[in-house]
Amino acid sequence: MNSKTIGVTLALVRDTFREAFARKIFWGFFGCSTALILFFVFIMRIDVVQGAIATVSLFGNTSHSLDVQRLVRQAHGAIAAFLFTAGMFLAVFASAGLIPSVFEPGRIELLLSKPVERYHILLGRYTGNVLVIAANIFYLVFAVWLIFGIKTGVWTAGFLWSSALTVYMFAVLLTVVVLVGVLWESAAVTTMVTFGIMIVSPILAQQQTLERLLTSETSRNIVRCAYYALPKVFDLGRIARSLVLGNPIDDWMPVWSSGLFGVVVLGAGIYVFARKNY
Amino acid sequence: MSFAIETEGLIKIFRSRWSGKEVRAVDGISLRVEPGATFGLLGPNGAGKTTFVKMLLSCAHPTAGRAMVFGRDSREAEARRPIGYLPENHRFPTYMTGRSMLDFYGALSGMDGVTRRKRIPELLATVGLAEWGDMRLGKYSKGMLQRVGLAQALMHAPTLLILDEPSDGVDPIGRRQIRDILHALEQQGVTIFLNSHLLAEVELFCHDVAIIHRGRVALEGKVKDLTAGSGYRVEAEHVPERVQQELRAKAMAVAQRNGNVEFLFGSRDEANLAVDLLRAEHCEIESVARTSSTLEDVFVKAIHEQ
Repeated sequence: MNSKTIGVTLALVRDTFREAFARKIFWGFFGCSTALILFFVFIMRIDVVQGAIATVSLFGNTSHSLDVQRLVRQAHGAIAAFLFTAGMFLAVFASAGLIPSVFEPGRIELLLSKPVERYHILLGRYTGNVLVIAANIFYLVFAVWLIFGIKTGVWTAGFLWSSALTVYMFAVLLTVVVLVGVLWESAAVTTMVTFGIMIVSPILAQQQTLERLLTSETSRNIVRCAYYALPKVFDLGRIARSLVLGNPIDDWMPVWSSGLFGVVVLGAGIYVFARKNY
Repeated sequence: MSFAIETEGLIKIFRSRWSGKEVRAVDGISLRVEPGATFGLLGPNGAGKTTFVKMLLSCAHPTAGRAMVFGRDSREAEARRPIGYLPENHRFPTYMTGRSMLDFYGALSGMDGVTRRKRIPELLATVGLAEWGDMRLGKYSKGMLQRVGLAQALMHAPTLLILDEPSDGVDPIGRRQIRDILHALEQQGVTIFLNSHLLAEVELFCHDVAIIHRGRVALEGKVKDLTAGSGYRVEAEHVPERVQQELRAKAMAVAQRNGNVEFLFGSRDEANLAVDLLRAEHCEIESVARTSSTLEDVFVKAIHEQ
């Protein structure tokens, strides 16, 4: 990668951040994350005595004698679950406009007139979008991890890994945003399709139960194919929770198969973009 | 020698996804633009001008034929490096300031940070926006956007400038300013390709033109050749009625103008004979000139003839 390529990539990433700032996406996430961090800093009081929590005070209500490890892991788990559900929906919703906005008439022609390959434009924008969300997730998770660590003396790496998994899942879902955005150039369609995949994920995660309920072999095959082909948001959420709670991960298939889905869909997005007339 | 722009049998057919109906937006255009030329592309709405330009920039892919920019296939990214482009109906991101916009597009053109920082204030001053560089583009007027758009196209010192309706929405002073900038670039040897429906603007600035209609080249040539007429106009005063009658029989047209009589002859010989006769009759010759058409006349004729 030469300096010109790096310069172009950085310009595209910077432009995505600039647009995210202007659309208040970045500041919206940053504000919510900061509010949550301040909550843990000032509202929650934890007194630890000899490895166990003596008291935990929240809005004046005090609990006694909790296992410190358990409390920290539960709090981490709650945040990880929030990020994987509501946080993911918010991230997709906020990002849905950032990709199609590039294809607006009068803007795309100017980008394409520059000596930059089309795939580079798309990947630069994609990377910028992932980094916008990653910056917010890492900010929240790292700050909460630090606060709990300082207050309780418990430092668990699982929570940090779970945030990486959350960003990874977002990056996979963003490939859908890219492909649908290139095809239809509409933020609304992009949001609907990506949300559809997210909503169907917990249903498909019950694939074995579903297969038992279905009578036709064709239906069972469709469910099986859909489960293996689509990104496994629900399963990755479960893995993230296991990471936080320190439980062993027995199956990494949802991680690599979701990644494979992302690579294929992003490749399809790049292919369609390269062939399209503007 | 490689041409600044060279197209061979360039065709673009748009097909409707559902009905399968075809539209031949560009139908076999072969054009050559020499380096350093000022070239105007003219045509009525829907003639295929913008599609042609988009194929030069690889925004649209040709169905057949090829387009070359300085000897490189326009589909190669490197072929676009010497090009500065100002699109029609551009939509610059409104969250950017004039300065950050120039910086962004400069970076995409492969300029390093130091050169960009040096070039931006120079260009903002050139287009008369030195004091507006830190203001968001959302606050710019149409004319200001057009000028900052031109600055964007000039950012990386291109050798080929493709401008789509550059003075659209610009007031007469701004228009003059843009023309001055383009003249200066012409002096530096920059090839300027102007896509415009403002015939007077093209006539004032371009030396070569092509008129396209229904996706084909209807007429191509040097502006001075295309607008040069074949007739001669002789204007005289104190022409006696008898002489007027005699010349009226030979002239293509006769007109009375402020007490003078103006005769239009189809050839130089006829004009010379008329001058001899008028002088022999002691008439005062006011002027003798070769007739010329405006580019508009040429344009209308070319469109109607095709």
